[in-house]
Amino acid sequence: MLAPGFSQRLRRLVGDEGVVDRPESLLVYECDGYTLERSAPEMVVLPRTPAEVAQVIRALWEEGVPFVPRGAGTGLSGGTLPVETPVMVCTSRLQEIESIDLANRRVVAQAGVVNLWVSRAVSDAGLLFAPDPSSQTACTIGGNVAENSGGPHTLKYGVTTNHVLGVELVLPTGEVVTLGGPVEERSGYDLTGLVVGSEGTFGLVTRATLRLVRAPEAYRTFLAVFDSVSDASEAVSGIIAAGIVPAALEMLDGLILRAVEDAFHAGFPVDAGAVLLIELDGPAAGLDSQSEEVTTFCKKQGAVDVRTAADDAQRALLWKARKRAFGAVGRLAPNYCTQDGVVPRTQVPEILRRISATAEKHQLRIGNVFHAGDGNIHPIILFDERNADEVKRVLAAGEEILEACIALGGSVTGEHGIGVEKIAQMPQLFSPEDLHAMTTLRSVFDPERRANPHKLLPDSKVCVEARAPRRQAAM
Amino acid sequence: MSAGLPTNPFAEAVRAERVAEATSADAVDGILPEWVVAPESADEVAATLGVARRRGLSVVSRGLGRHMTLGNPPRRVDVILSLERMNRILAYEPADMTVRVEAGCSLRALAATLSEGHQWLPLDPPHAEETTVGGVLATNLSGPLRASQGTARDLLIGIRTVGPDGTIVSGGGKVVKNVAGYDLPKMHIGALGTLGVILDATFKVRPRPQDEGALEITCESETQAAHLCLQLRDASEPLWLQITNDADSPKDWRVLAGAGGRREDVTTALERYRQLSEAIGARARPVPNAPRIRQQIADASAHGEDIVLRAATLPTRIGDVLTDILRETDRIGTVPRLHADPICGVLRVGLDANASEHLAAWVTGLRPKLEREGGSLVVERASAAQKKRLLEAGDVWGEPGPALSLMRGLKEAFDPSTLFAPGRFVGGL
Repeated sequence: MLAPGFSQRLRRLVGDEGVVDRPESLLVYECDGYTLERSAPEMVVLPRTPAEVAQVIRALWEEGVPFVPRGAGTGLSGGTLPVETPVMVCTSRLQEIESIDLANRRVVAQAGVVNLWVSRAVSDAGLLFAPDPSSQTACTIGGNVAENSGGPHTLKYGVTTNHVLGVELVLPTGEVVTLGGPVEERSGYDLTGLVVGSEGTFGLVTRATLRLVRAPEAYRTFLAVFDSVSDASEAVSGIIAAGIVPAALEMLDGLILRAVEDAFHAGFPVDAGAVLLIELDGPAAGLDSQSEEVTTFCKKQGAVDVRTAADDAQRALLWKARKRAFGAVGRLAPNYCTQDGVVPRTQVPEILRRISATAEKHQLRIGNVFHAGDGNIHPIILFDERNADEVKRVLAAGEEILEACIALGGSVTGEHGIGVEKIAQMPQLFSPEDLHAMTTLRSVFDPERRANPHKLLPDSKVCVEARAPRRQAAM
Repeated sequence: MSAGLPTNPFAEAVRAERVAEATSADAVDGILPEWVVAPESADEVAATLGVARRRGLSVVSRGLGRHMTLGNPPRRVDVILSLERMNRILAYEPADMTVRVEAGCSLRALAATLSEGHQWLPLDPPHAEETTVGGVLATNLSGPLRASQGTARDLLIGIRTVGPDGTIVSGGGKVVKNVAGYDLPKMHIGALGTLGVILDATFKVRPRPQDEGALEITCESETQAAHLCLQLRDASEPLWLQITNDADSPKDWRVLAGAGGRREDVTTALERYRQLSEAIGARARPVPNAPRIRQQIADASAHGEDIVLRAATLPTRIGDVLTDILRETDRIGTVPRLHADPICGVLRVGLDANASEHLAAWVTGLRPKLEREGGSLVVERASAAQKKRLLEAGDVWGEPGPALSLMRGLKEAFDPSTLFAPGRFVGGL
């Protein structure tokens, strides 16, 4: 329990409207996009400026109170779930794009700036911020930095860490450090690179210097239609092996296709076994010959049809449908959960076979919509939480799939993070020595474990209780 | 040899023929080590470090030794840990576009293997042929390709290192997209071996461009060249872009603009560069064998000079920084060789020996302005004597800034007894 009077102290710092502590108002903060576990904080603090964040964290430090950070709460691994953290520090009011330097292709954005706002702010100049998670209309830069977020177009352009040049980090003591900055090269350890993807366990990032890239001169967006998931996944391996790196290479299987088509009417073939959504971009000159190659290639691999988006509107509709596919899944079952495993690209056909076998074994429906070109799978397991036996099978299936990813030489998360969700898998992926090195690294920034404790790294205090999900919101 | 050391203290760690007494060729900034040990396996590296730790010896890692001039003079060096015998390519999966390779493998040998799959690891530091994988990671040196391909941090996906206590630690993995755990591989990039010994590394590799071409554009001034380069960048993303001067005729400036991709992409890009050049009255001509020119430029940026410095600034400031450098070098009566990457804002300055007595003054003249704007000025190469003089004016790295206390924390956490290269890194770490 927080000390009496502490809330008053925070109110003086951030204003009355910046402190939320009425139980009914705290409900929205009890989980993020990972809904299998819930726990409301005692208090949510919403500072208005980076300076206020530092003051709040300083006050928490003095009070001995650990905190959990939160941006928009779109994370998918429970990174913002309060675990023995009475206070949540929410960056959603830090919404300022502080500077735009078009000539140098740099933007300084506060943590609460929504991902898509950055690209919108510079699109007239023909630039964009490359990381494009599916939640980009809601997720924040602070969250992207914490999770090292990806997205479909990271196949060609890289993930968040490749586009962050510097951050301002508030350490758990309230001390503010500036790491990196607008100039690419600076002496010393790559602390910025360590902070990106640290899931809020080093402190709280209040602003970031982002690198912009030139918007592609032209796009070609295709739908390659296949009779089976297996044909489509062989085509994925084939395209990559042929030395073609599309800007994006996404797969949707039949189950997902039908749900997405019902929801968005984007023109997906509902009778197909799977489609590949392929996007090429770059200088207009070479795109036609590349397109031809990809088309020929897909057909050789058994594509029954290859359709090209006729114009920008059609392209936009295809991408909207892809990025909101998770939402459309709500039509298929009362509940679903997704995994974020990664396998080497050549193992995509194999992991899909194993997912299908797992589904059969546990009598579950599993859909697939994922970043095939990166080998980053997102099997979506459908279930009804009222069916206790089914829930048990869902958890077993999820674990089996992640174990298969590890066995095939992959990882348990490509872009969603470890959070609380996948802590149990960390010892399968890393040796005790590796984990010890990570603990040591964490202690350099946060020796007292005040910033987002009990996340990312297994510790003795909290054995993940995710084994028995209590409930899940309808999505 | 200091008193009390038995003959070959590393007998328990590696075979006898893998241990040699150091010679003057092994000196680091004039400091002569006692031993050169060349282990052949991870276990042997760990055992070697074990001996060094127990005996209180300090260790500097080395690949082919091409870039040993980077860094402050170490406070002491007892053992050179040579990785040259750990040079295997452990796994190359062309269809996965990944490669795992031991630290002592040269970029040249790696390139030969990758070319069989029409792929490359697009890291082109100066003297890439004599640079190892471990070396390019530890120094984080880059070349012209950086403009479009990034640096080591954009390509490294996994690493295995040995800590001072002999513990082998892996970070990252072998898949191209992976956020499981902290990004330990990044910790060792540019760390000059001060946090551990790199054993092997896993990279994502890319398809080699089917075709490459380049234009040489003659400009009147550094300002014109810099201005033109931003136009080229905006017109069509170049594969690489360099501004260089002519040492014999210092007022002559050249822009070299490289394009890569499919033949039609290259043709179109070069035509655009030509038009943009001619629009400002600059003469452009195609150069043959663009890949060779590209590597020559990389090598020339750090070739045959006594002193090499690297400045970093914002891309739009490149022209002004070149002007500042020329003014400073004019004052000491020497002509610098300049190679600037106007896309990344990074440039190398080569100075000859007659500038050496002015080096400290020169660095103190230029560095503060660069640092004020968030940039840096690093001495990549200088003699031991020059570095010593420089120490009065700062050090080879420059001002580490407010992050120094975290960097110190990192060093103390991962190398508590300062086994690795004491004093060689930023801030005397």
